[in-house]
Amino acid sequence: MIIITRASITDAELDAIRERIEQRGMRTHLSRGVERTIIGCIGDESLLAEVPLRSMPGVEDVVPVLKPYKLASREFAAAPSVVRVGDDPSRPGRVAAFGGPAIAIIAGPCSVEGPDMLRETAEAVRDAGGVMLRGGAFKPRTSPYAFQGLGASALKMLADVRRTTGMPVVTEVMDPRQIDDVAEHADMLQVGARNMQNFSLLSELGRVKRPVLLKRGLSATIKELLMAAEYIMAQGNRDVVLCERGIRTFEVATRNTLDVAAVPVLKRETHLPVIVDPSHAGGVADLVAPLSFAAIAAGADGLIVEVHPDPANALSDGDQSLSLDGFRELMRRLGPFAAAAGRSLGASADGARAGAAA
Amino acid sequence: MTTDPSPAARDAALDTLGRYRQQIEQLDRDLVSLLAKRVALSKEIGAMKRVAGLPTLDPARGAEVTRRAAALARDASLNDEKVRDIFWHVIGLSRAVQVDE
Repeated sequence: MIIITRASITDAELDAIRERIEQRGMRTHLSRGVERTIIGCIGDESLLAEVPLRSMPGVEDVVPVLKPYKLASREFAAAPSVVRVGDDPSRPGRVAAFGGPAIAIIAGPCSVEGPDMLRETAEAVRDAGGVMLRGGAFKPRTSPYAFQGLGASALKMLADVRRTTGMPVVTEVMDPRQIDDVAEHADMLQVGARNMQNFSLLSELGRVKRPVLLKRGLSATIKELLMAAEYIMAQGNRDVVLCERGIRTFEVATRNTLDVAAVPVLKRETHLPVIVDPSHAGGVADLVAPLSFAAIAAGADGLIVEVHPDPANALSDGDQSLSLDGFRELMRRLGPFAAAAGRSLGASADGARAGAAA
Repeated sequence: MTTDPSPAARDAALDTLGRYRQQIEQLDRDLVSLLAKRVALSKEIGAMKRVAGLPTLDPARGAEVTRRAAALARDASLNDEKVRDIFWHVIGLSRAVQVDE
């Protein structure tokens, strides 16, 4: 249930409403917007059946949230959420914002293969207008015999490159036991498609003070994706970015089928930012640009793109990686699509660190 | 960004910083000791509730405590949402010892 309040409501009135709700054993969550403030009620709504909330001072409307995801639902927030990555005073560097006016582009290698290739890629990504670096340390491969990633040493390389380039980094976490280590080195923690419904992992990520990039499962519905986000948010971490990365269909010409419609559907259903992974969706480098254009046209808040200095010799997913030149070309071509969607590309004023200079 | 300070100014600043940190440490000790007192008192309250035949869990009381804390926080120019969160945890500490009895 959400309570929409009048613009003129006072703090004391808000307190009184929240106390009435919390008296019944529920919790409340406040979302302040420019035009209205919303009190979200978390818990068993039947407990509020007898409480005359509508007549309390300052209340404009009381609306039941019938959807199973509450914290993630669009109604729960006064405005779409902006998730800021790298906004940690102990870490000098840039901040990437998802869900603001600028479309945020994350790029980097599928897996971290060494410090030199990572630095070379990071600098190229940054100079072309990318706002974040991606790079796999722990790789969930379909085959146990495929390259599994460099693990802990890759995490250190990512942290080093963040220090030298100032770009926040995102990397995948596969197991709750890796969370502390990954959170120490990375600025954003990614849940891969294959782990989208690993509920113990999701709950643990809810207790971490770092934003989470949650990728849609290969065969997951939009509702299941939102329920997975709810798992993270229910534990207290509200900084979740959703990622559409293609779903499994009967089509074999592409690696997965990019569900373009998922973007506007998600934007309608949730206040969370939504980004698209055109690399995994298409599975080949040629499809990255057209799928990126489609994503931006559909309203995506960002992209996550695989880039490698030498795709032909990449240790994983070389077929779908753009070369550094290919990425620069993509960024040039994205500009007009972003403008047509009423957005800017790359870092914006929104991406500057709040408060003091770096 | 600040420009390079003189060595004397730098030493003085480091000195003050050290003293402030000591004060913070003392405040943290006080906070923990106050929490321990609160938990001990809650334990007594739990025992009295049982004698008086009252239910151990009292959500209305928790709601009142957080409402008051939020109002005090605003008066003290603190972020009241964060203080609310802290108080739900404080209440959780107290509730745990009452339920565990």
